[in-house]
Amino acid sequence: MFVEVSLKLLEGFGVTLKIFLLTLAFSLPLGLIISFGSMTRFAPVKWLTKGFVWIIRGTPLMLQLIVIFYGPGLVGTWAEAQINAGASGALIEWLATWHVMDRFFSVMVAFVINYSCYFSEIFRGGIESISRGQYEAGQVLGMTKTQVFFKVVLLQVIKRIVPPMSNEIITLVKDTSLARIVMVYEVIYAAQKFIKSDGLLWPLFYTAVYYLIFCGALTLLFGWIERKMSYFKS
Amino acid sequence: MSILQVNGIYKKFGKTDVLRGIDFSMEEGEVLSIIGSSGSGKTTLLRSISFLETADRGTITLDGEVVFDAQNTLKKSKSEQRKIQSKFGFVFQSFNLFPQYTALENVMLAPRLAAKELNDYHKHKKEILHEIEQEAKALLDRAGLSDKYNNYPCELSGGQQQRVAICRALALKPKIMLFDEPTSALDPEITNEVLKVIKSVADLGMTMIIVTHEMNFARNISDRIIFMENGVIAEEGSPEQIFCHPQNPRTKEFITSFSQNVEE
Repeated sequence: MFVEVSLKLLEGFGVTLKIFLLTLAFSLPLGLIISFGSMTRFAPVKWLTKGFVWIIRGTPLMLQLIVIFYGPGLVGTWAEAQINAGASGALIEWLATWHVMDRFFSVMVAFVINYSCYFSEIFRGGIESISRGQYEAGQVLGMTKTQVFFKVVLLQVIKRIVPPMSNEIITLVKDTSLARIVMVYEVIYAAQKFIKSDGLLWPLFYTAVYYLIFCGALTLLFGWIERKMSYFKS
Repeated sequence: MSILQVNGIYKKFGKTDVLRGIDFSMEEGEVLSIIGSSGSGKTTLLRSISFLETADRGTITLDGEVVFDAQNTLKKSKSEQRKIQSKFGFVFQSFNLFPQYTALENVMLAPRLAAKELNDYHKHKKEILHEIEQEAKALLDRAGLSDKYNNYPCELSGGQQQRVAICRALALKPKIMLFDEPTSALDPEITNEVLKVIKSVADLGMTMIIVTHEMNFARNISDRIIFMENGVIAEEGSPEQIFCHPQNPRTKEFITSFSQNVEE
């Protein structure tokens, strides 16, 4: 039984890993773009971005998952009802084509949006913490703004954001369990199945081992990165 | 013909007038020190000359070419602007070395980036980079840092960092070196090593403007001294005149307060 449970959980943890890795791959670059949006001097973009980040960080990820998974379907049903009641027009017809998205896809959309916003704030903090003197030193040496960013500022920013980033990324590992709310088969869901089918509770507790091992490995990785960058102080 | 001409520079921060009409000019090879109490506008003047601040009014002419004109914001292309920028070497009070690069890399970074814009860069890449490295090493050697090429700024003392920063500014072969209180962030016992390097740069005939609180140093190194007060040049003259026979009562007060400090 133990082997069977282990293998099933491993299968579930594969999905957990997939959510984790895909979220990172998309939300890190997107987060950087959003951070530029919240730092721009162009006020409309700045306030739109800040408003968006406020909404995403100010509501539970679980709620966002539900809205993204059920929302389009509800809109589609509502629009169809309007058409049946005699409404017409391009917009309402387009809305009527909305339907429930693939479960895994909606999970990815919610996670990427949510984590981009969190990452964007970490990037912003890192970028704004670099002293003006570094930019000025680049300027008086005749460097372009792009050169100053990539050759001078970026590595210092990365060094500074490793600790908050590692914190956020480890939170992401455990947040993946929220995918269960829209029935995506990740490790918690895999364990819960044993409650229903075999009346076993321990597989659920056993999932902790998977999380612990993975988070432990991440902690080692981030520690290694921090040591790698300890050759300079900024 | 003078190498630098500064005419009618005004600068406001919010409602505060920091510079209220600054005029002076410099000959090639001249060493000019700017003294005055904190808040008199010395640093802002230096920063305006090197485009770190944009003056509200006035013109700056370098080597016969108008490099700044507040009235006529003739759009210079960015590469032109950077070319002009690199004619001014700037040394900061707080060094501002790039922490992730070694001393040698700090000195080589800007020349290497500038070299990429040369037409024959790709053809002679190796020679160009080699030459930049040799020049950077020669600069560090002259500043007494031949054993510190591969040290990161965090491994250097403040005095050593400032000497690297001076080399970094010299590496672009500027026309004029600007020093903004180069020893103010240093412990008194290591200011001398930095002052010595600045002196050696002056001895090579470099045109320099030094904003400083080191009165003895200013007196010894300068050809001319400007005393600033409330955003204007209150008095200007030879070190002898400023330190021994100041005409303006404020200059007298300022100089006296400094010599008293020394006696204490």
